[in-house]
Amino acid sequence: MTDVTPERTKTVLIVDDSRVSRMMARQYILHLQPGWNVVEAGTGEESLDKARAALPDLVLMDVNMPGMGGIAAAEQLRRLAPALPISLLTANVQSATRERAEALGLGFMEKPITEARIAQLLALAGG
Amino acid sequence: MVELSELENDALIEIFNIGVGQAAASMSALVSEEVRMSVPSISFISRADAARLLGSRLAAEAEAPDRICGVSQHYEGAFDTDAILMFPEDKSLELVRLMVGETVSLQELTDMEQEAMCEIGNIILNACIGTLANVFEQELRGSLPEYHVGTSDEILGVSGSEPDSVVLMLHIDFALDKHQILGYVAFVLDISALHDLKEQINRYIARAMGQA
Amino acid sequence: MTTVRDPSLDLLHSVLNAVTLGAVVLDHDRRVVLWNDWMSEHAQIPQQQALGADFLALFPALRGSRVDAAIDQALRHHFPSLLSQSLNKAPFPLYANAAAARLDDRLQQAVAVTPVDVANAPRHCLIQINDVSIAVGREKLLREQTLVLRSQTFADGLTGIANRRHFDVAIEREHRRARRHGTPLSLLMIDIDHFKAYNDHYGHQKGDQCLIQVAAALSGMLRRSADLMARYGGEEFAMILPDTDTAQATQMAEATRARAEALAIAHAHGGNSGVVTVSIGVATRSVASAVNIDTLIGAADRALYRAKKNGRNRVEVQTPG
Repeated sequence: MTDVTPERTKTVLIVDDSRVSRMMARQYILHLQPGWNVVEAGTGEESLDKARAALPDLVLMDVNMPGMGGIAAAEQLRRLAPALPISLLTANVQSATRERAEALGLGFMEKPITEARIAQLLALAGG
Repeated sequence: MVELSELENDALIEIFNIGVGQAAASMSALVSEEVRMSVPSISFISRADAARLLGSRLAAEAEAPDRICGVSQHYEGAFDTDAILMFPEDKSLELVRLMVGETVSLQELTDMEQEAMCEIGNIILNACIGTLANVFEQELRGSLPEYHVGTSDEILGVSGSEPDSVVLMLHIDFALDKHQILGYVAFVLDISALHDLKEQINRYIARAMGQA
Repeated sequence: MTTVRDPSLDLLHSVLNAVTLGAVVLDHDRRVVLWNDWMSEHAQIPQQQALGADFLALFPALRGSRVDAAIDQALRHHFPSLLSQSLNKAPFPLYANAAAARLDDRLQQAVAVTPVDVANAPRHCLIQINDVSIAVGREKLLREQTLVLRSQTFADGLTGIANRRHFDVAIEREHRRARRHGTPLSLLMIDIDHFKAYNDHYGHQKGDQCLIQVAAALSGMLRRSADLMARYGGEEFAMILPDTDTAQATQMAEATRARAEALAIAHAHGGNSGVVTVSIGVATRSVASAVNIDTLIGAADRALYRAKKNGRNRVEVQTPG
């Protein structure tokens, strides 16, 4: 899933139960990397399906989602693709969050999403 | 009453979730424990309906159904509102006790616990309105928190606003350790404040869609 | 430099320096522009040193704290903040006198941080600090009195020591405190050896008396106010020892075991010692072994079981996790 693709275009999977949040993230990503693909998922469960289909180079995962939840979904994705850069997105940044992210080999980024923060995240996929 | 489109509802919930998320991080720093807070849903209702909703919902969980604790702050600027954080009295004491970390009986509502509740209200309300202000790129000024105890009618009537004002009600889920506490945040808005708020939300959505 | 003195300004100055609370004003760059006499006296920082200084240069320990965030909220958002004394223990280094300063015995504080609009200048911020030490002391006294009253409803009917309900409340409280402060919390599970046999042969009345005596003797081992001895079950007791590591807890357990044996309550039908003895399981929750309550109790129970298996009248330790 993380093999370097022959073209320069990359795929980012955004997972957030808020449609506005996904739109915002898509805006920023395409503004920074106009040629890239953005795939969206609205739940943890959907993110697994989308990931298997789209084979993303980077996953941005909202933590606070109903149902499976961001951390559980990220854990599963991590198992499917050990080297895939996955970043948790949360407004609630405390040491427990950092520790859990670290333990699972996940990055994390503070919400609200800004273009500057997206730029930092895209760098994880080589953008 | 006031109808929100799906996108407007989505935008507001996301904004408030960011706000309470940051508030949870601040509270966690105060107690060195994991604190989680989220806003699963919001609604716009009349003040009378809000009082009735609070009275019955919170009563279902409370020991003394008619005693509600509220912490209010007034905000003005881009729009004017009275913001009130509310818990049934025993839940607010439970919350303070969890934060303060000592065993105190329910009967001991001391000045100090009122003050702790004021700070908790201050943190949560500032975070919610602060996020709104950031997202709307607008200026707002706030007041220091005030503490009230009473029935839901009394708490919501405290702001003394017009009869045709609307309440934006946030349902708050608070979790610390194994304890989960349900509370509400109410923003009392008059017609012009509501109009301002809707306008701001739509500008935000337009920006999100790349149209601004 | 003006030579005309404004009398109303003089009055304000005098008042500001006479009020019995700390008043500090920071400009938009967080530099001190106002520092009243109360602050000079209690922070032990004279006005000349404070004026113009960067706030975090004066109070480096407050970087990243709630005070820091509150100043930010006031300057950036125009929002006031309240720091209650219950949730914020003495954030500023303020003292009643030089002697207190030497011991870092701080005043208890209630702090308010509010934005201040200044004509022709970007927003400033006012920090007000109230000394609430007396109020805090009074509340502590009230709580102690309530605890004394409460201890009567938390008491075991037979032995008079803490009951299981009290234990449950106490272990939760101490576990949280241990986690918060990173201090070790030890638990001793104590079980009277061959107690069923004692009851069978000496009768239930003597059995009760035995329980009362053992409970009293074991409670007498406690030395600190936060230590608790509770009746956990029929002939089982639990000892909560906050701020106690494994070595200390093991020492206490051994002393307790010896004390029980020294009671010399005759028991012809149990074990070889001829007297009533106890087995003790020890477990400690520490930063290295940061387990929850159930795991801690489970570990102490497993240690107790080992003590029984290994011959009774002994102490065994189990590392939890």
